[in-house]
Amino acid sequence: MSGDSVPWALPLARFQTSEREATTLFGELRKPLLRYLVCLGLSSDEAQDVVQDSFLSLHRHLSAGGSQENIRSWLFRVAHNQARNRQNSYARRFSAPLDDAGAEWVLDEATPESALLEKEKLQRLGHAIRTLNAAERECLLLRASGLRYREIGDVLGIATSTVAGTVERAVKKLAEKCNV
Amino acid sequence: MCEYSGRLVAWLDNELPDQELPDQEATNVEWHVRHCAECRKAVRAYQEVSGAFLVCYEAAIVARPRSRMTLRIAGGVAAAVAILALVLLAQQPRLERLSVRLPSPAHAPAMAFEKSAPPAPAVAVRQQPAAPAPIHSQWMAEEPVVEVALPADGLFPPGAVPQGFSFIAEVRFQQ
Repeated sequence: MSGDSVPWALPLARFQTSEREATTLFGELRKPLLRYLVCLGLSSDEAQDVVQDSFLSLHRHLSAGGSQENIRSWLFRVAHNQARNRQNSYARRFSAPLDDAGAEWVLDEATPESALLEKEKLQRLGHAIRTLNAAERECLLLRASGLRYREIGDVLGIATSTVAGTVERAVKKLAEKCNV
Repeated sequence: MCEYSGRLVAWLDNELPDQELPDQEATNVEWHVRHCAECRKAVRAYQEVSGAFLVCYEAAIVARPRSRMTLRIAGGVAAAVAILALVLLAQQPRLERLSVRLPSPAHAPAMAFEKSAPPAPAVAVRQQPAAPAPIHSQWMAEEPVVEVALPADGLFPPGAVPQGFSFIAEVRFQQ
């Protein structure tokens, strides 16, 4: 999973004093945040703005002596809320499917036959993803970002057991729709 | 339906509630999956779907093209800017050329007279033949008159002017 290199508790005592640490943190979390926001339906520019605002909020949070525990889920929560504020309608929010996102990547792989099969499979998955509800999709996206169930619960404001149930349901739904 | 079927994804994610306790639930699920063909098949399917989802997710930021709406907006903005520029250019006041007569220098440099004259424009210039004196010639001073005939095709688009028409400009030189 992406984002595994980010430790559970980041060494943020140094964050306020060392610019290098801040740069490291930005470098570690910027891409997963961007990817999550784009998959939520934000444009690339909007996602960049939200990531910048999130890191500014983090700076203010730390400057004000805020908690340094579990900064990853803190950043994801701030970015998630900002994305929600920017998205006016539910339809737009999930109108950007992951559909053929992986198709180009697959076409570079292996033989043309296997590439075609993989592409079809990904297309089926894309259609299946559309059938997920908001919570299921958000849970899967955060899971793909490398967040633990507890962190996902923090981001979405739900219990860890609810996250477990939602992820289980979403994965089963995808497996059924994709006939795997 | 197996009693462990609701915990397979959490088990795959190492997220069972008491995962941290060794030889507890995780071990039970693991043992069960080894011996239950149905759960084994389900686990394989969940792994495959999770992997495919991850591929899509990883590729999303790279493969996502610019939306058509963005392109349309950009095109609209470009067209609006072009129209605005044309309107502004059209509204710009025309500068009238004032007739300023510069006094000729008392002693012009000799080099000025050595320069050859620029080639004459390729227009049909004909000296007016001895035409009957115009009516106003009686009250105007006698001046040399040159008529310049300009082909109509050069001024108007083809077909705009009937065939055979041409424009004649009278040029007067004052001393």
